[in-house]
Amino acid sequence: MKKMSVTLLAGAMALGMAHVAHADDVTLQLKWVTQGQFAGYYVAKDMGFYEEEGLNVTINPGGPDIAPPQVIAGGGADVIIEWMPAALAARERGVPLVNIAQPFARSGMQLTCMADTGIEGPQDFAGRTLGVWFAGNEYPFLSWMSQLGLSTEGGENGVEVLRQGFNVDPLLQRQADCISTMTYNEYWQVIDAGISEDDLVNFKYEDQGVATLEDGLYVLEDNLSDPEFVDKMARFLRASWRGWEYARENPDEAANIVLENDETGAQTEEHQQRMVREITLLLGDDLVLDEADYQRTVDSLLSEGSDPVISGAPEGAWSHAITDAM
Amino acid sequence: MNTTILIGAFAFWLAAWALNSWLAVQRPANVAAQRAIDLFVPVLFGVTLLVLWEGLARGFNIPTVLLPPPSLVWERILASSHILWADFQQTFLKAVLAGYAMGCGAGFLVAIAVDRSPFLKRGLLPLGNFVSALPIIGIAPIMVMWFGFGWESKAAVVIVMTFFPMLVNTVEGLQASSAIDRDLMRTYAASYWQTLFRLKLPAASPFIFNALKINSTLALIGAIVAEFFGTPIVGMGFRISAEVGRMNIDMVWASIAVAALAGSLFYGVVALIERAVTFWHPSVRGG
Repeated sequence: MKKMSVTLLAGAMALGMAHVAHADDVTLQLKWVTQGQFAGYYVAKDMGFYEEEGLNVTINPGGPDIAPPQVIAGGGADVIIEWMPAALAARERGVPLVNIAQPFARSGMQLTCMADTGIEGPQDFAGRTLGVWFAGNEYPFLSWMSQLGLSTEGGENGVEVLRQGFNVDPLLQRQADCISTMTYNEYWQVIDAGISEDDLVNFKYEDQGVATLEDGLYVLEDNLSDPEFVDKMARFLRASWRGWEYARENPDEAANIVLENDETGAQTEEHQQRMVREITLLLGDDLVLDEADYQRTVDSLLSEGSDPVISGAPEGAWSHAITDAM
Repeated sequence: MNTTILIGAFAFWLAAWALNSWLAVQRPANVAAQRAIDLFVPVLFGVTLLVLWEGLARGFNIPTVLLPPPSLVWERILASSHILWADFQQTFLKAVLAGYAMGCGAGFLVAIAVDRSPFLKRGLLPLGNFVSALPIIGIAPIMVMWFGFGWESKAAVVIVMTFFPMLVNTVEGLQASSAIDRDLMRTYAASYWQTLFRLKLPAASPFIFNALKINSTLALIGAIVAEFFGTPIVGMGFRISAEVGRMNIDMVWASIAVAALAGSLFYGVVALIERAVTFWHPSVRGG
């Protein structure tokens, strides 16, 4: 009896492993913690879109100490989500990242000020205290300040820059006149803290003409010469886009899927439902990187004055090879 | 993979190891020669580590975003010395020194109060124990919220970190004078304050300096870590975390090098003062 059950168990395992052996492994490194910002990928995983393409996808959440370019440089991921300025900077510093897809066509970054500071436009920024995150998210801000001609060292014709943590306290505690927020995340944290929308003055980077491309998918350049890798990534992109379209049609269900995958338990239903709705507003019509958008981001980064993010126009930083193979 | 560099680094390591092993067993009669050997051996050891690091990083072509070779770090130190100096002023001269002085001072005064009053000893020491166990990662953002983004909040974190070691060591030290010495002061009709200044404090000074040395490292760690949580855009902690995000790992190492140097010098200065003040202690007299 024991011999039979062992044989049956071995047989079942062999069958199971035979099934798994067909699926290709893909590890995706997210830019931030599990939240609605990455709904499309979680939806594609939970709804089986990746499985249908023969992929076994592992999604690794990011966080405050995790820099996706370092993860991929260390071999911890096949594909990462990163903002274009940080990816181009990493490319210049020896991590050969290539953009293979750009799901987010619009930027969600903005600068939110309290209305009672009297700031009505960028012309009022001089002499104020502005908050921005660092860790790669400061490039669009530095670029904007440079274009406005404001030094970030403080003083009368400059701005005092605070490095804000990943919360909205500097605005609530009046330690800064304005802080950086995302349309889908921190802005709503401010609203949730009891400040009404009428008490806030918002500057969207898109409206100011200083937006840079945000969440894009990046891989290491060497892998693009491997046809199996290209095929694997093409299937990954196809399934991911199906996930995003599903999230666009069913935001609440997508929010639930994200919450189920959130291991920290820190996210709330209301916040995630809002986030998914806001994030789908940033999606483009497809995953393909628009070269004009790419050029705009590069020009914006190069126009920065004394301390440019990148020192020259990047070459080979993006590729349509995978999106063409989709 | 650059084999010449690897072989060169390996050869240097073996040679330095052989030399150090030989030097360490030498017993020259000449005192100056002995001192020179005492200095040379650790310096050679340090240099060998740097050479090995350089050799491995360059030999294996390790990407600089993972591990930059020391030569790159040195170039960065030279190129960004003004930035590093500004960071040093913000973190060390403002946050660390102020926090260290206030934290150690508060610990010292409370220890004297505790020594006078058994009631305080039973009440304050456990509280001090509790405060010291609070993780700095938890205290730092709260201090930033209370005291703002400037160096004041970093000094506050340093105060919390340095208070308890100073308190415990000083209390221990104040009880270190032997009963016969205390009886002697009593026979001289010494008042409490005279006994304190002439007997108890000098007897406590090895313990106090012990705490001061521990606190010198804790203060620097506290200030740097506190800067991860909210800071104006200058400071050693800020520089490390911001440049990690920007993938400028050579700048991170440059900042680390400056912090290590500052910490060692700080500790060294306190140790030198200790040698001067506790000249009577057997450990200093070499007995």
